[in-house]
Amino acid sequence: MNPLLREAAASVQLGWVLGAMTVVFLAVFLGWVFWAYRPKHRAMMEEIGRMPFMDGGDA
Amino acid sequence: MEKTTTGTVAAGTDVGYDLDIVKMFFTATVVWALVGMLVGVIIALQLAWWPANLGLPWTTFGRLRPLHTNAVIFAFGGNVVFTGIYHSTQRLLRTRMFSDTLSRVHFWGWQSIIVLAAVTLPLGMTQSKEYAELIWPIDVLITVVWVVFGVNFFGTLARRKVQHLYVAIWFYMSFVITIAVLHIVNSLAVPATWFRSYPVYSGLTDALVQWWYGHNAVGFFLTTPFLGLMYYYLPRAAERPVYSYRLSIIHFWALVFLYIWAGPHHLLYSALPDWAQTLGMVFSVMLIAPSWGGMLNGLLTLRGAWDRVRTDPILKFMVVAVSFYGMSTFEGPMMSIRAVNGLAHYTNWVIGHVHSGALGWVGMISFGMLYWMVQNIWKRPLAHPTWASHHFWLATIGIVLYTVSMWAAGLMEGLQWRALNDAGQLANPIFVDITARLNPFLWIRLLGGAMYLTGAVMMAVNFWQTIRGPERPAAEPVPVAAD
Repeated sequence: MNPLLREAAASVQLGWVLGAMTVVFLAVFLGWVFWAYRPKHRAMMEEIGRMPFMDGGDA
Repeated sequence: MEKTTTGTVAAGTDVGYDLDIVKMFFTATVVWALVGMLVGVIIALQLAWWPANLGLPWTTFGRLRPLHTNAVIFAFGGNVVFTGIYHSTQRLLRTRMFSDTLSRVHFWGWQSIIVLAAVTLPLGMTQSKEYAELIWPIDVLITVVWVVFGVNFFGTLARRKVQHLYVAIWFYMSFVITIAVLHIVNSLAVPATWFRSYPVYSGLTDALVQWWYGHNAVGFFLTTPFLGLMYYYLPRAAERPVYSYRLSIIHFWALVFLYIWAGPHHLLYSALPDWAQTLGMVFSVMLIAPSWGGMLNGLLTLRGAWDRVRTDPILKFMVVAVSFYGMSTFEGPMMSIRAVNGLAHYTNWVIGHVHSGALGWVGMISFGMLYWMVQNIWKRPLAHPTWASHHFWLATIGIVLYTVSMWAAGLMEGLQWRALNDAGQLANPIFVDITARLNPFLWIRLLGGAMYLTGAVMMAVNFWQTIRGPERPAAEPVPVAAD
């Protein structure tokens, strides 16, 4: 293993980095859920769901 | 044209979509499907009856097996995904592809890679990494062709006429980006000669990188792009929008967040540190949530249209595909649990699992899409509508024979390998005895695979005669046209 990585892994620093990444990823994911399920966005979401049918047909 | 959220195009407007490239990839798909599946049937025969290896080094199992996996995953799977992406991306973004030249370089580049694979693998040229066997010069070519595809795809996104990217496009993006990262990182090697190289990783690191690649090849080559196809072609075929567009967004993000960590479940009970094994196991078990969310979203899209599933072969293929997606994404997390893996690993159960996903999910959703496409792109009715139904039943019964025989074989192997007698010694100390007992199951698997191939041959003949047949009169409506 790379000596720098080995040193980081042996210290608590890497644990904090991984922990922070987990929190950030979870927050981003919850953000997507909030965005998708916001009642205000309901009509827009349904409209977007119909996108495959609005491409001008077979021309 | 002004950009709007959904970029609605009035019916009958000629946007100038490039259909020729779609037809090219479509044709290549059908050809490589037959080749890849035929090699699969040949090696299934070899396992049941070894003289079928012909006693020649070029036709032995060890060389033909990687030819089979590369052909079905990257030649059939790759071309079918490109067919769907080139067709649906243009339509969902309401624009022609970024560059017709790049599209054709991508097409011919990809077919050259396949031909090179078909030549080098039987000659025994390999870098011995599962699903990444191709030697380094071909790996370089894959990288170049993939970058060409990436530039063309993202260039199309840049000139799109819509603001919102429909969920299928997100699935395609994850495919384009992740496969590039996986391929480059896993194939990093120091060339020694034109045909041989040494990986930059060694030992355990090499194993972990390989299975990070290997499992995500399943995740991002055989799952996410096909889910993109499902989110476009299932609504088109069912003539109704996806059940919940919101759920599809959650499906996408949860799936890509979790999938990338699941690789270590291939290294349970290995020298990999315990915590890393457990990490892989936990993420694999969690994957069931987005997978089943996606399955339910697909199946519920058919609400109110279930009567059509009885008569429309396209919907039959798609419904069975989504069901197999649900089944194999239940089986996978279960097999990644340490205790279950202790029984299943290295047995034919794994082969059964892979094929319920590959034949059941990837194959069936592809067939559904291809039957829909041949009628809509060439604007012709199917030459033999009943053959499509026969194909469906041959494939479905073939998969059942395949998976059930491999489950039974795998359980038998797993149990007999570790059975102990009263003295605490191995009850079956002679390994090859257990292998010999597999034979009946191997013949049943061969039958299942041969049925699946027969169905695919019927499809190819049906497509050939459909495309050569007369065009549908303009007045007659397309059976599954857009509204």
